[in-house]
Amino acid sequence: MENKNFQKLENKIMSEIKSGKVKLRSKYLFIAEKLGLESAFVLSAVLSILFFNLFLFYLKATDNLEYLSFGTNGITAFLESFPYLLIIGFIVFLFFAGYLMTKTDFSYKKPFKYFAISLIAIIMIAGSVLAYTDVSEKIEQQAFSENLSGTILKPFLNCGVGLHKNGLSGKIFEVSDDYIIIEIPSGLQKVDLQNLRSEEKSGLNKNEFIIAIGERKDNVFIASQIRIVDQDSMPMIRRGINRSIHYNQINPYSKRNRFLIQDEDMKKCMNECLDLSEYRRKCFDSCDVE
Amino acid sequence: MKSMNLSDEQLVEIIRKDNQELYGEIIKRYNQKLSHYLRKFIYDQDELEDVLQVVFIKVYKNLYGFNINKKFSSWIYRIAHNEALNHLRKYSKERISLDEVEYKIIDEKIDVSGDVDKKILKENIEKLLKKIRQKYQEPLILFYFEQKSYEEISDILRIPTSTVGTLISRGKKMLKEELKKEKIYGK
Repeated sequence: MENKNFQKLENKIMSEIKSGKVKLRSKYLFIAEKLGLESAFVLSAVLSILFFNLFLFYLKATDNLEYLSFGTNGITAFLESFPYLLIIGFIVFLFFAGYLMTKTDFSYKKPFKYFAISLIAIIMIAGSVLAYTDVSEKIEQQAFSENLSGTILKPFLNCGVGLHKNGLSGKIFEVSDDYIIIEIPSGLQKVDLQNLRSEEKSGLNKNEFIIAIGERKDNVFIASQIRIVDQDSMPMIRRGINRSIHYNQINPYSKRNRFLIQDEDMKKCMNECLDLSEYRRKCFDSCDVE
Repeated sequence: MKSMNLSDEQLVEIIRKDNQELYGEIIKRYNQKLSHYLRKFIYDQDELEDVLQVVFIKVYKNLYGFNINKKFSSWIYRIAHNEALNHLRKYSKERISLDEVEYKIIDEKIDVSGDVDKKILKENIEKLLKKIRQKYQEPLILFYFEQKSYEEISDILRIPTSTVGTLISRGKKMLKEELKKEKIYGK
């Protein structure tokens, strides 16, 4: 470019500056941007730590890992109750934190791979350390409360206490020859034992915690394998059941703690029967729930 | 003190505080340098002037975003670099344009040698620089044609200094290999 053109360009830019058309952006805007960026980075890192911590907590507190004790037969139930949303949340926030880190002065000109490895290590260590505190339990309490935090958090933990097609765990409520009724966090569930060997059926007693694999057919879970477990091995299930009982005590006519029956007539029959304070097993038989 | 005796960073501080007219001095100092750099990517004179104007306006607007403890020249080159890339992306252009002196630099410093017809060499280097990945192309241009140090290139491209050395050495190697493939070098 010739000198004449350079001069023209300079004059043009300077006249725009002098006329006020082009102005300096406020320094407070840059400070706000910097703070915003750093806060977003810290927030993403913290959320990533929390999600990793919740993932570990989930594995420890639910029946998810217990299904693997059934060997290859338990894999479907394991995959069904696996906390995918927690893992997705963890990965999303981890990537976001990594991306924001590259935009901060903190990582300026430094090799990204070392920072990325350090970030992953710090998040995993912090998440693991947090698993030894009661933070996760408090989050669980919030997740199943009726307030806004419950609405936000519930989807992430709900699969731990929800219904699964191929796996089931809960507390034995009533025992019969060919079936048992168990309490699970979402209500009462009939478990068909006909496919089990007699020695497997014989050890089942009221108030014991069981874990089973099999298949849910309509209203009944048909167990193919069953095992008694220590109630402390899946505290989230235990707390889920307690919450359900408590809810039922304060709302005796609530449908929440009735049998998990999809057929409306059967459900009505069962509820009417239970309202007459009949034994559950009697109601079960008289309403012809299969 | 005359504005000519001030460092870029000192000038920026004064402009930010109260004397915005001094920005003309910044334009004087950098218009030729940036124009030279941008020409590697933008051949058309009018387009180049437009991009240069955008760069100077962007620099002015964002003067508070510049960290006074860092080097101003690296910062302004970074903005120019990003603008050049934006321009190429916007108009889907890929262009490397060397002037007469620059292909000699390539010849001497990268040692592509010899008895090859200089015109053919120039045309080919332009073509081959386009062929190698942008990752290697940028540090080569900044190092050989803009005479930037590793430290400055590291500031402009926001990569570690050690990586700059690696990229330049690999870029040189690639350029030589491409020249060999084209049978211009090492016959």
